[in-house]
Amino acid sequence: MKLSLTGMLRRSLIHRRTRSISALIAMTVSAGVATALLTLYADLDTKLHKEFRSFGANIVLTAPANASLPLGALARAQQIAGSDALAAEFAYAVATTDIGTPVVVAGTDLAAVKRLDSWWQVDAWPDRAAANAALLGQRAAQFIGNEHSVALTYAGRPVTLEGAGRIKTGGDEDSRIYMPLAAFTAWTGVKPGVIELQVPGGAPRVEAVMARLQKELPGVEVQPVRQLVEGESRIVDRTHALMFGAVLLIALTVAVSVLATLSASVLERRRDFALMKALGGSQGTLMGMFLLEALVLALAGVAAGFVVGSAAAWAISEANFHTATLPHLSVVPLVLLVNLAIAILAALLPLRVLRELQPAALLKGE
Amino acid sequence: METVNQVEIKTGPLSVTPSSAQTESLIDQTTRPDCAVIALHHVTREYTGHGSIVRALSDASFSIVAGEWIAITGPSGSGKSTLVNLIGCLDRPTSGELKIDNIDVAQMTATELDRFRAAKIGFIFQQFHLIPYLSAIENVMLAQYFHSMTNEAEAKAALEKVGLGDRMHHLPSELSGGEQQRVCIARALINDPPILLADEPTGNLDAANQTIVADLLRDLHRQGHTIVMVTHDPEMAALAQRKIALSHGKVFCHPVGSPVVTLRR
Repeated sequence: MKLSLTGMLRRSLIHRRTRSISALIAMTVSAGVATALLTLYADLDTKLHKEFRSFGANIVLTAPANASLPLGALARAQQIAGSDALAAEFAYAVATTDIGTPVVVAGTDLAAVKRLDSWWQVDAWPDRAAANAALLGQRAAQFIGNEHSVALTYAGRPVTLEGAGRIKTGGDEDSRIYMPLAAFTAWTGVKPGVIELQVPGGAPRVEAVMARLQKELPGVEVQPVRQLVEGESRIVDRTHALMFGAVLLIALTVAVSVLATLSASVLERRRDFALMKALGGSQGTLMGMFLLEALVLALAGVAAGFVVGSAAAWAISEANFHTATLPHLSVVPLVLLVNLAIAILAALLPLRVLRELQPAALLKGE
Repeated sequence: METVNQVEIKTGPLSVTPSSAQTESLIDQTTRPDCAVIALHHVTREYTGHGSIVRALSDASFSIVAGEWIAITGPSGSGKSTLVNLIGCLDRPTSGELKIDNIDVAQMTATELDRFRAAKIGFIFQQFHLIPYLSAIENVMLAQYFHSMTNEAEAKAALEKVGLGDRMHHLPSELSGGEQQRVCIARALINDPPILLADEPTGNLDAANQTIVADLLRDLHRQGHTIVMVTHDPEMAALAQRKIALSHGKVFCHPVGSPVVTLRR
């Protein structure tokens, strides 16, 4: 049988199990909160940008007045924006309905629009193969006599479209009729004049893409959807700051709790420490023993907190973003650092008490 | 239940030379400073607090030779604890020279004093001060741990010497007061220190256990241990060879014929 430092530490922790458990819970809470917030933080950009994608395009390319976009503009724009960007081109014309009301008709790739403007409320998207299908804006539908067989006339040329469903956006789209671009061009002879582009990744990337588009598609007006780009950037930055603040605040709260626990731990064991001093235990050895105890609790807290925090991050992510956030091992070093900092910070005052212990007075019962 | 007669003190590796007979002879020679295991020369200890200076021990000079059994007596506040703290190397004098085993401890750093204390002093406390979560043998080994290396066989032997061979794996809470004090004595002996410092060793014990501990101390003295004992108990004080009495921080009396106590009124 040997008397080792780790053996004494283990016995001491078990002997004072209530105090040990409360310190462990505090350290677990701190590590758990740090893990949850840092895991969410790591996924925040992706998740928020994904959310922002549902708001539609953030760059609009417009051909000069009375002209159409150069040939291959969509492919070039897509190439510049990157494979993760979404793009759709639009051609517009004003036609007349079967009851003689003028209406804006847009020709586009409906499948691309479905991805790009996923926030549109559409009761039924047309089948990809349906060449003459049409989506009717909520307001535009009021001026159509027969919604199932939409008869339109443009410059004396009639076309009959199959009404597939209605669109409701609360914007200009409600007053338009959307149809496949190929059928639109064949009917009106009008070529695409607008490309809507959605570039993920926040303001810096959007601005970089815009600069390249302006350079490589001269004559085409490249405009950001300012509210979206700036709003996204602002929200992401503020969310980052909020999460940092929350981690800091919680860490400080936990530090106070751990400080109270460790202080009580030293106070209730000051006679034990005084005895060890009297038996020849040096200041360094005793402080080392105490710090080791705090570090063991901090490490155990990190292990338990990582599991709890990852589970919390998963639940929060699932509830708010409807996607799971998997545990990020990359947050462990930072969580460890936070917990060790808390443990050391909280141990400073008790260490001072320990340093100033007078064995003689304590052992005498004074 | 333990009885006085069951306790048997065995001699062995823990014995400290010289023998009792040699001790008697040494006491007669203690005018020679190099014979003293403890020597105080004009030692003063002052404490500063609330803007005033309190002199807890004033100009104390005396020596204790190896193998002597000394009783320190005096009322509360007389400076006993201060004196014991100084001899136990738990404190340093404000002025004067304090030599333990011929080494001036007044000049030592705190770290040096820790090492020195572990090697030279065995403490026996009134309240035993055993670590509650360590067994009897582990409490004894704790003193080895801070001294050098733990050795279970030696710790076992020390407990057997104080009659606790069958209780070594019990926690302090499972031991009687007398048994706890015997564990404390075994712990004090384990590093074979030249000085045993006993602070009211029987103060917390019933009559039967007082006798056991008194017998243990008597046997340890017989084996040659130097014992410095603080006590209020006249019967315990009577067991010592000499008495150093304190009052108001001054060493003020000693038995007639003792050549080693410097009287200062």
